[in-house]
Amino acid sequence: MFGVLFIDEFALQAVLRLEHGSDDQPIALLENDARRSPLIAACTPAAAAAGVQLGVTVPQALARCPTLAVRAPNSAAEQEAQATLLAAAFALSPAIEATAPGIITAALGGLPEDRREPALRTALESLAAAGLRVSGGLAPTPLLALYAARAVAGGLSGGGARGDHALHLGIAPGYSQARFQCIRDGRAFLSPLPLAAADPSPALAAIVADWGIHTLGEFAALPKADILHRLGAEGLALWERCAGETTRPLNLATPAQEFSAAFESEHPMETLEPLLFLLRRLVDRLALDLQNAALAARELQLLLTLEDESMHTHAIRLPQPTHQPDILFRALVTYLEHVRTVAAVVALALAIEPTRIPQRQEGLFDSALRDPHGFSESLARTAALTGPDRVGTPEVADTHRPDSFHLATPPEVLGDLGALRADHALQPGMALRRYRPPIPATVELLGRTPAFVWAGTVRGRVGALLGPWYGSGDWWQTDRRWEREDWDVELENGGLYRLFRTPGGWFLDGEYD
Amino acid sequence: MPNSGSRISALRELLQARFPQSSRAAAEVCPTGIEQVDAAAGGVPQAALTEVVCRSPSCGSQLLLGQMLCQVRARGGRMALIDADDRFDPSFWPPPALASLVWVRCSAPEQAVPAADVLARDANFACVAMDLRDTALPVLRRVPPTAWYRLQRAVEQSAAALIVLTSFPLIPSARLRLDLTQSHSLTAQAEERSALCTSLPVLLQRQRLAAAG
Repeated sequence: MFGVLFIDEFALQAVLRLEHGSDDQPIALLENDARRSPLIAACTPAAAAAGVQLGVTVPQALARCPTLAVRAPNSAAEQEAQATLLAAAFALSPAIEATAPGIITAALGGLPEDRREPALRTALESLAAAGLRVSGGLAPTPLLALYAARAVAGGLSGGGARGDHALHLGIAPGYSQARFQCIRDGRAFLSPLPLAAADPSPALAAIVADWGIHTLGEFAALPKADILHRLGAEGLALWERCAGETTRPLNLATPAQEFSAAFESEHPMETLEPLLFLLRRLVDRLALDLQNAALAARELQLLLTLEDESMHTHAIRLPQPTHQPDILFRALVTYLEHVRTVAAVVALALAIEPTRIPQRQEGLFDSALRDPHGFSESLARTAALTGPDRVGTPEVADTHRPDSFHLATPPEVLGDLGALRADHALQPGMALRRYRPPIPATVELLGRTPAFVWAGTVRGRVGALLGPWYGSGDWWQTDRRWEREDWDVELENGGLYRLFRTPGGWFLDGEYD
Repeated sequence: MPNSGSRISALRELLQARFPQSSRAAAEVCPTGIEQVDAAAGGVPQAALTEVVCRSPSCGSQLLLGQMLCQVRARGGRMALIDADDRFDPSFWPPPALASLVWVRCSAPEQAVPAADVLARDANFACVAMDLRDTALPVLRRVPPTAWYRLQRAVEQSAAALIVLTSFPLIPSARLRLDLTQSHSLTAQAEERSALCTSLPVLLQRQRLAAAG
């Protein structure tokens, strides 16, 4: 049994799926050749409803539909659409053939019979979510499956055979609904189809039309030997196609080995919205590739090419490897929300560094993050507000120099807390609310001890004090050398403070609180 | 003529009798380890704002923060501290407790409320604290009252306890308001910190009950 995924108007769909809000707009695609006056090769239903016909020139089309938008074929967009189609097909079966642009054939013999239709339905739904209107065919031969898919996509009257049925999927308005068709009786399905469905050459089609034959069933009813005698090998091949007898081995495609995507926009992107729309398409496809390869993303590498030909690159390390498209996309959104580029974006490339999906068992007393990706995102958004070096878990340096610490990345798993209660209990006194930088103070001394303090809004007579404590360090480094004399003072009007004296004068270090 | 207090009580009784299913229930609380708070309110409420008004210097707000950090860590949770004026000193707290802390050192006090808005929505935090004690009055006045209700909605989603340290009553949406009024004396420097935390003098100023879920 074979399944076929078929995209009608492939080149047009490939371009439109990367444009935000183009579903119900009158848009036409030009032919892909270098004529002076290219002709319209495809158009959206909205354009067709406005009177645009295929094969007319652009001025003729614009005369009928003044709001018509015209697009040139985009090979990068077609490659991306084909890669998306291939990724969805690899979720169906490992035996996949990239038959033609917009056509994928899958051998579904390995799937139980009752799972073939649901699997194909799932693939069609995921492709619809990726912006591709795809039709599917399920039949005993690859060619029959292709005809079935094309019949439902093009609205050919192929249904009606007993045992055959079509499934309708929800799809954007303006297009015929994407659906799939399961063919059990090949001859009954083929019989009413017009002869054009079997792709005869123009000359052969003209001869057969002269004979008064218009459907595949009428042609297949002719004797096979007579067809060979009169029309030669080409006629025989057409007869076999009409009879549904043609089968062939698939030319198998290989799954993606590299997880990267790139796209060059026709119009510079000045705001975030079109960029994110485009990125979402790329992320969805790459995530599907990762899932098919049973891998997860460890790092996202984003490259934006700007209109002034400069580049903006950034690597996003994920807190935990994942292949969930929502999480990958969210990481990109969080970063891009705070990026300001000097020029509009004209091209983007996204590469994913893959890794194996981690398997880990937590310790019994470990406490892991409930949502590692949400945690990482929160930290990134907070760092975007305050600065990247202002958010983290404090780690106190192993030195007596006051206020020596650094901010580390918060741990994913919190380990044993056996020492916590003992450490907490043994700490004496109150904790300091530190002034950064220390407030210069004027201190009146009584003998060698402070008696009155003025430091900003803090001022008062010293009621009680402890000290002095002397400290110094880093004497071997002239630029880091420090030396100080600390006092703990209680002011008569309330408040406990740490006061210190250096060769540079007196300072208020902080408030005990 | 009955006074307004008795009329409100009568109205409450009437409403509770007519709509028993809507009666207010006790919210989940996060014990602080501070005797007066735990005895009066059971702890700080989760999924709600708690305002700690620090009316005098050296009143013990850092002790309260550190105690919350140790309590949260002991239960395997995490805490975020949004430090509007960069006052926290990690060297006074045990490293095992610091491991569970995410410290946001705001480079400008205006960053504090937006940072809290981000972190309060994160379900990984059991407690989010914001220290606005030394934030200048003009900066605090620029925070619209709706921002506090927005923060209230944010923690309702994540179930975190949001504690805000202020120098005067500021937050209209606070479910619990605690007052720290007594300055400590120099003799506190000789006492064990755990004892200081446990006996921290705290006044309960406001306690609103949560609506029944």
